[in-house]
Amino acid sequence: MFQTVTLALLRGCGTMLELFALTLLFSLPLGLLVAFGSMSRWAPFHFLVRWPRLLDQKFFRWLSTFAPVSWLCNVVVWIIRGTPLMLQLIIIFYGPGLWFDHNIWSFSSGRMTACVVAFVINYACYFSVIYRGGIQSVPAGQWEAGEVLGMTKRQIFFKVTLLQMIKRIVPPMSNEIITLVKDTSLARIIAISELVKMGEDFMRSDGITWPLFYTAVFYLVVVGILTLLFNFLERKLSYFR
Amino acid sequence: MSILDVQHIEKHFGATRVLEDISFSLEQGQVLSIIGSSGSGKTTLLRCLNFLERPDAGTIAVRGQTIFDAADMKAQTESQIRANRLHFGLVFQSFNLFPQYTALENVILARQLLAKSQKTGESNEAIVQEGKALLDQMGLSDRMDNYPHQLSGGQQQRVAIARALAMKPDILCFDEPTSALDPELTGEVLKVIRGLARKHTTMIIVTHEMAFARDVADHVIFMDGGVIVEQGAPADVIDNPREERTRQFLSRFSQDN
Ligand SMILES: Nc1ncnc2c1ncn2[C@@H]1O[C@H](COP(=O)(O)OP(=O)(O)O)[C@@H](O)[C@H]1O
Ligand SMILES: [Mg+2]
Repeated sequence: MFQTVTLALLRGCGTMLELFALTLLFSLPLGLLVAFGSMSRWAPFHFLVRWPRLLDQKFFRWLSTFAPVSWLCNVVVWIIRGTPLMLQLIIIFYGPGLWFDHNIWSFSSGRMTACVVAFVINYACYFSVIYRGGIQSVPAGQWEAGEVLGMTKRQIFFKVTLLQMIKRIVPPMSNEIITLVKDTSLARIIAISELVKMGEDFMRSDGITWPLFYTAVFYLVVVGILTLLFNFLERKLSYFR
Repeated sequence: MSILDVQHIEKHFGATRVLEDISFSLEQGQVLSIIGSSGSGKTTLLRCLNFLERPDAGTIAVRGQTIFDAADMKAQTESQIRANRLHFGLVFQSFNLFPQYTALENVILARQLLAKSQKTGESNEAIVQEGKALLDQMGLSDRMDNYPHQLSGGQQQRVAIARALAMKPDILCFDEPTSALDPELTGEVLKVIRGLARKHTTMIIVTHEMAFARDVADHVIFMDGGVIVEQGAPADVIDNPREERTRQFLSRFSQDN
């Protein structure tokens, strides 16, 4: 029995790691994109400032500073962070079938794909906030110091500010990534055989609860490894403040 | 010929005029002190000279050559501005050292990058030697390998001065270099600046240390509300001000101190 359970949970663990890795692979870069988007200051109606009389009206004053890209990114981030991942997962998986009379997820690994899509969108939004915090936490004086020393923008970014951003991003990022490990268990809501579902199946079919505790061991090992990794990174970056 | 000639500089932030018709010149090897109450535009003026802000009007000439003319915006390319900046150095009130680099690395980083990108043929060895010499001159020979957070405020500011000097600017600007320091640490920074003045480093120093300004400056400018109210020799401006506003400012000072 122990062997059967172990094998089943190993498979579940594989599913978890697959979802975990794919989510990180896509959401880390996507999050950076969203972060840049939310910091974009592109204001297409800025030309309105050429008519000072118009600016006396509140609406036009607002319109002249309106930055649509930033606005859109912030709204998306607000919606995604403001609603449960489980809800997003259900909508993304079942929504298309109900709206378009055609289930776009009907191919062989469709469930997993839908799940990865939902996770990537969700985590990209969380990561974007972390990136933005890291980028904005580097004092303007660092840029200015580089500039007055005649450094190019490229040099300032790569030689001065990047490492400071990374240092500030690592701790909140490690929290979020550890949360992701445990969030993968939500995939069971669309019948993906991840770890918890595997353990629960044994409880239902064989009336035993120890496989549930056994699943916990897998989570603890994965989270433990990640914790060691992040601690190492943080220690590497602790030589400066 | 003056090393620096500033004519009719004007700067607005939105609708507020922060600098108005600022004109002055500075001779090679001289020290100019700018005094004035907070909000009078001193920082903005230094930031304009270092091209951190772009003046809305006016010209800046170094050694007779106009390097900035607000009327001729086309000449202001990114790389041109960068080249212009090298005429000036700026020491910030809040040091702004790079935290991930040691004192020595802070001093030589920009020089190394410049040597690499412009292929000046300067050897890394020479740059390092020069950086060490500068830190030595600042009294920091035993602190070269410390990171900024391991240094006191006064030591950090001295590293920042060495970092600015490493680029061999024609004119070194200081924006209240001791305002962020505990009183017992201001002395060591002022001493270093005095040393530079003795070696005839051309400097513009914004400061609230009146005694220091009177001592070290060849020329003093008093600013108020974005304009130059009075300028001249320290003995005139600080000891015998002509303008009522200058007198008020100075009397407030002697009460405070
Ligand atoms: N980036 C900015 N945007 C808007 N106003 C500014 C900005 N920087 C400075 N000011 C304003 O310009 C005036 C002069 O500021 P500053 O040059 O810092 O004076 P000082 O250094 O003499 O204290 C102040 O009224 C300040 O509020
Ligand atoms: Mg100031």
